[in-house]
Amino acid sequence: MTSVAAPRGSRAPRLAAFSGLVRRGGAVWVIVLALVLALTFARGTGFWNSGNIAAVLAGAAVLGLVALGQHVVVLGGGIDLSVGSMVTLTSLLTAVLVDGYPIRTVPVIVAMVVLGAAMGLLNGSLVSVARLPPFIVTLGMLYLVSGVALTVSATPAGRVTAALTDFSRATLGPVPAPFLVLVAAVAAVWLLLARTPWGRHLYAVGGDQHAARAAGVRVRPVLLGAYVTSGVLAGLAGVLLAARSAIGSPTAGSGLELSAITAVVIGGTSLLGGRGSLLGTVGGVALLALITNAITLLQLPSTWTDLVRGLIIIAAVAVFVVRRPR
Amino acid sequence: MPETALGARGVTKSFPGVRALDDVTLACAPGRVHALLGENGAGKSTLVRILTGDESPDAGTVVVADRETRLGAPREALGLGIVPVYQELTVLPEMSVLDNVLLGQERSRRGLLDRGAQRELARAALARVSLEDLPLGTRTGELSLANQQLVEIARAIARRSSVLILDEPSAVLSGDKLQALHDVVRAIAAEGTAVVYITHLLEEVPALADDLTVLRDGKVVSSGPATDYTTDRIVREMVGRQVDQVFPDPAPPAGEVVLRVSDLVPVGSSAPPAHLEVRAGEIVGLAGLVGAGRSRFLRTLAGARGRSQGGVDVGGRRVRGSLTGAIAAGVALVPEERKRDGLVLDLTAAQNITLTDLRQVSSAGLVRTARENAAFDEERERLGIKASGPGQPTRQLSGGNQQKIAIAKWLRVSPRVLLLDEPTRGVDIGAKSEIYRIVRELAASGMAIVIASSELAEVIGLAHRVLVFRDGAVVGEVHRDPDSAERIMHLALGTAS
Repeated sequence: MTSVAAPRGSRAPRLAAFSGLVRRGGAVWVIVLALVLALTFARGTGFWNSGNIAAVLAGAAVLGLVALGQHVVVLGGGIDLSVGSMVTLTSLLTAVLVDGYPIRTVPVIVAMVVLGAAMGLLNGSLVSVARLPPFIVTLGMLYLVSGVALTVSATPAGRVTAALTDFSRATLGPVPAPFLVLVAAVAAVWLLLARTPWGRHLYAVGGDQHAARAAGVRVRPVLLGAYVTSGVLAGLAGVLLAARSAIGSPTAGSGLELSAITAVVIGGTSLLGGRGSLLGTVGGVALLALITNAITLLQLPSTWTDLVRGLIIIAAVAVFVVRRPR
Repeated sequence: MPETALGARGVTKSFPGVRALDDVTLACAPGRVHALLGENGAGKSTLVRILTGDESPDAGTVVVADRETRLGAPREALGLGIVPVYQELTVLPEMSVLDNVLLGQERSRRGLLDRGAQRELARAALARVSLEDLPLGTRTGELSLANQQLVEIARAIARRSSVLILDEPSAVLSGDKLQALHDVVRAIAAEGTAVVYITHLLEEVPALADDLTVLRDGKVVSSGPATDYTTDRIVREMVGRQVDQVFPDPAPPAGEVVLRVSDLVPVGSSAPPAHLEVRAGEIVGLAGLVGAGRSRFLRTLAGARGRSQGGVDVGGRRVRGSLTGAIAAGVALVPEERKRDGLVLDLTAAQNITLTDLRQVSSAGLVRTARENAAFDEERERLGIKASGPGQPTRQLSGGNQQKIAIAKWLRVSPRVLLLDEPTRGVDIGAKSEIYRIVRELAASGMAIVIASSELAEVIGLAHRVLVFRDGAVVGEVHRDPDSAERIMHLALGTAS
C-alpha cells in the first residue's frame, strides 16, 4: 500500500468484508435472521409453533425447487421465464393423468420429470444451438406451455391419490416431507456446481462465453445441461404442487418464474451470469417464504406481500449487487 | 519429430473493407522460439486467431505437424496441442486461480472433480511461472494484470502443448516477471515445444528468438533465423517504403494558434504533462503503439475523460473539462470506435448527422424532417457520402460512408478544433483517400486538426508534424522528411539511439 492510498484504508477492509459476504451469499441471511428475530419477539404471533414452522418449510419447497433451476440457468448467463408455466403444466397433468388411480402415481411422477427435462431441452436447444436470446426464447415458452395447459383443461381438473396428499402432509419430526425433497435437490445441485467439471464450465460460460470457448470448453452441452436441470426441477415442483393442492389447476404455477428470479437476485447472484452462490439463492427463498408467513402471522392484508417484495428487491439490488464500473 | 510443428500455407483472410492477411506462409519448428513481428494492424492477431481455430481462412491452409489441417474451433486446435495465450486476457475474474488454470482440462474421477489431482497440477503449472506462493482459492480478479497474465500462461503450460503461442505478453509483463517468462519460454522450447512469440518490444528478440518473421499490411516481408536481423533491419521492414506520392505536401499553416494544451495530464495517468499548440490550418499527427496513450490524450482534449492537471485553451479561452464544455468551445472528437461511440447504427444517416445539434433542424420544439434532409444533403455534397437517401439506416452503409457520417455529424457544430482518432480504420482504400482529401480541405478552411492513427504512412503523409507517444508520454516530435517513418518507429518502440 502506498501512503497515498492510506486515508481510504480505514473504510476499505469493511467494504471488502461486506462484498465478500455478498459474494458468498451471506448478506441475504442477515435479513432472514433479522426477520426471524422480529417474528420471535412480536407478541402473539406463534411463529415457532411446530404447525407454523412446517407450513413455512412446506411452502418453501415448490418455490425452492424452481429457484434452484433458475439459479443454475442464471449462473450460465441465461434466464428461464418458462419455469412457472412448466410447473403449471406438470402439476395439472399430474392430477389429470393420475386421476385418483394409485397404480398410476409412480409412472406419472417419472413422466412429469421427463416432460420437464424435455421442455428444458427445447429451451436449451433454442438458446445454444439456434443461438436465440434466452429472454425471448423462454418468454415464448412461457406462453406456449401455459397455452398447452389451458388446452388440457381450462378449469381445475383431475385428482391425485391419497398417497400423494399424504406425502405432502407427512413430516419427519418437525420437517415436512416436501421440504426434504428440496434439501435433497439443493444437495444434488450443489454437487453438480461445486464438484463436477460441468459446474466449473457453467461458471466460465456465464462469466465470459468467448473466454470459455477459447479455453476449450464446449459451450453447447453446458447450456443444454443448465436448461434441462431447470426443467427437471420444475417438473418435480409441479408434482409437489399437485400433491399439495390435491387437484390440478391451469394457473397453479403462474408468477412462480418471477418469484424464482427474485430469490436468485436477492441472494446476490449476478443476472449477467458467472457469479453467484447457492447459499444466497436458498436465503432468497427463505426470505420470500418468511415474508409471506410474516404477513399472515401479523394479520396484515395479503396485498402487502407484493409491496414488501418490491421494496426488498430494490433494496437488495441497491445494496447487494456488486456494481460494475461505468 | 515433425519439421513444422505449426505453420500456414498461403493463408488469406479479408474482413469488410480490409484484407487482413494476404498469402501468408509461415513455418514454426519444434524446439524453437519463433518471433512474429509487425506494426499495429499488420495482421499478427488475425494470423494467431487462424492458427488457433478461432477464425477460418478465406484461402490457404493451416499446417499442424507437417499435415494440412482444418481447424473448426479453438477446442480442435487445443486437442492438437496448439495452445494460445491471447493478448486480451481470457481468465475469468470471478473464478478461483485453481479453476482458471484448469479450465477446460479438469481432472475428474467417476464424474466428480478429482480435487487432489487438480491441486497438484495447478501447483506445478503455477510454480513454473513463479507463482508457487499464490493461494489456489484466490479470486483471479483480485490479482494484478501481470499475475492474471501469468495465470493464463500457467493454464497453457498445464496442457501438454506441442505449440505455445504467446500474443504480446510483454504488453503486460515487465522487469523480473518478463525475465521469468523468458526463462520459462526457453525451458519449454528446450523440451521440444514450438513457441510463437509476438511482441512489440524489439529488445526481447535477440535474447529470445531463434527465428523471426516480419509482417506488414497482411503480407510476410521476410522470415529467417534471428541472427540474420539487426534492430534496424527489423524496423525498416516493419515500416516499409514511404509512399510519398499519395500525399502531396500540405499548405503551410498560416493562421494563429487555435488550440493550446498546457501541462495536461489525463486522470489515471502517471505520465509527465503534455504540451501542444496547433494553429488554424495545421494538421498534427499522433503516432505510437496501441495503448501508448494517443487515444487517451485525444479523449482528454475532448472532455470525454477527466484531466488531473493542466488546461486546454481554444482561441485564448479556457475550455471546461467536460464533453459539453469542449463542444461549446468548438472542440469535436470523431472517436476511434465508430460503431460503439461514433454512431447510433440503428438511426438513419440523416438522424445521425443532425444528432449533435438538433436545434438547427427544429422549430417550436419539433424536429423538421425537411430541414433534417437538407442538412443531410449539405453534408453529402461536402463529404461525398454515398447513401440511398437520408432515410437509409446507418448500419447498412459501408465502413467508409459510416466514417464520413461520423465526421459530418461533428462538422454540423462548426468546430474550430477537430480531433480524429483512427479515422480510416476498417475503411476501404477508395474511401481512405477521400477521407484524406476531406481532412486536408478542412485544414485548408482554417480548422485545427489533430489526428491519431496506427498507420504510420497515414499520419506522416497527412500531418505537418507528428507527436510520438510511448507509455502515456510524448517522447518526441518528428517533422516531414524522408526518414520520418523510421525515426517515429524507433521513438514508439523505445529503440531510438
